[in-house]
Amino acid sequence: MESGQHMLRTGRRGTLFEFSMALRDLVTSYHRRGLAWSLAWHDVVSRYRGSILGPFWITISMGLMVLGIGLLYAKLFGISVAEFMPYVAMGIVFFGLMAGTINEGCETFVQASSMLSQTSLPMFTFIWRTVLRNLINLAHHAVIIVAVIIFFGLWQVMDVLPAMGGLLLTIINLAWISMLVAIASARFRDIPQFVMSVMQFAIFMTPVFWKPDAFPDRHAFLTLNPFYHMLTTIRAPLLGQEADGLSYVILAIMAVLGWALTFSVFAITRRRIVHFL
Amino acid sequence: MTDVSIKVTDLTLRFPVYGVDAKSLKKNLARVTVGGRLGASTTGATEVTALSHLNLNLRAGDRLGLIGHNGSGKTTLLRALSGAYEPDEGQIEVRGRIAALLDLSLGIDPSATGVDNIRLRGRIAGMSSKEIEDKMDEIAEFSGLGPFLAMPMKTYSAGMQARLAFAVATAVEADVLLMDEWISVGDADFQKLAHRRLLNLVERAGILVLSSHDAGLLRLYCNKVMRLEGGVASEVKDIRRLDELLAAA
Repeated sequence: MESGQHMLRTGRRGTLFEFSMALRDLVTSYHRRGLAWSLAWHDVVSRYRGSILGPFWITISMGLMVLGIGLLYAKLFGISVAEFMPYVAMGIVFFGLMAGTINEGCETFVQASSMLSQTSLPMFTFIWRTVLRNLINLAHHAVIIVAVIIFFGLWQVMDVLPAMGGLLLTIINLAWISMLVAIASARFRDIPQFVMSVMQFAIFMTPVFWKPDAFPDRHAFLTLNPFYHMLTTIRAPLLGQEADGLSYVILAIMAVLGWALTFSVFAITRRRIVHFL
Repeated sequence: MTDVSIKVTDLTLRFPVYGVDAKSLKKNLARVTVGGRLGASTTGATEVTALSHLNLNLRAGDRLGLIGHNGSGKTTLLRALSGAYEPDEGQIEVRGRIAALLDLSLGIDPSATGVDNIRLRGRIAGMSSKEIEDKMDEIAEFSGLGPFLAMPMKTYSAGMQARLAFAVATAVEADVLLMDEWISVGDADFQKLAHRRLLNLVERAGILVLSSHDAGLLRLYCNKVMRLEGGVASEVKDIRRLDELLAAA
């Protein structure tokens, strides 16, 4: 329908109509997925223009953190480095993906305001831009993961398929959270600060740097933390352990409910978002 | 190509103006907890009616000039035609590929090179990577920037930036061309070039909507004219009656 050849904007209302327009926005963004990719790629390139190592600087700083925390905490907690270092490495890298996608989600629409207010580009394009940008960053940081997998011989025990499943579920969930905070931040400028505080809090409340052994299995403190499920479904299989099946179930339910909520919010606010900016 | 058209029916656009305070969550939460006690002054946003019950029908070959004071709704109408706004009432229907030249700096990254910016802007304008590469030479030549294309945009003068933006924007195969007053950028040479390219584009495009304060310019490019005042549109008149509309001010 929106083929670039035909543009229709109407004042028609009604729940069903708003949902179909929101759906059309999504479909158009899929047809123009190349644009989201170009924008994401350009973001990464332009952020690090003139720098030789580019995004690898973040990788290096993450790597340093992994080394430092891996060695120090292994000593403090009395765990072997071979066990703790890969654990922390994956924790930091994958939590980085979560924090990045959600924190940068706050800026998604605000940054795109000039484009949104004078073109008919689908709004979902900018959501994908944020998600893709963070995936590109992850691809750089994956060097750390590969390094610990090789160095500590994890390739002998790891189980890639469930980890990929966990990563996929995580990305689907991150995307809706990112979109929800994008809409909320466009309307209320307090939201980015709030989100940042929550994510800062979450990095310590989630077993990124520490092992959840002190808690009995399926303790509420862990089960109620969505980031725990995201992290454990990716990390445990890579460490050669089995992630609790419940975590996959919870992530799947969260994805469905979260997207239903986010899509509804989008359908209702879609025509207003450009005026929020 | 033959069914290129713009059809605007009873279009009303209202802009909610969220005060600086209204964007703060606290105010909204306070409103919930305090109930109605804060009174009407803090409830919701004030609305500005930017366009009111506007009707417009354009077909291939129509070149409409928009006139009106600052804030009369010209740019809003152009943006609405480009598909950025959802109408509060009425409907906008545009058939044909739209090229909007409203903002020179749209999608421009000052620290990226000219060539990168051509690619980026072309992508935003809806060109595929292949289309852009095919047109790259032509765009580069028209911009006349030569070796500067390999330099970051931030080293460009305003005129050079305008050349590049103009070159990319007009490289799109467009059926409907929307322009906000800015063709008058660049030096005399470039203006001549731009003029020729625009005429060419307009001939191919089918429909042009141009907002301007310059009567001479409007006479040059347009064959129809419409006056906006406080978001209310006059009838569409022949360009020969431009003086009449101007005098009505």
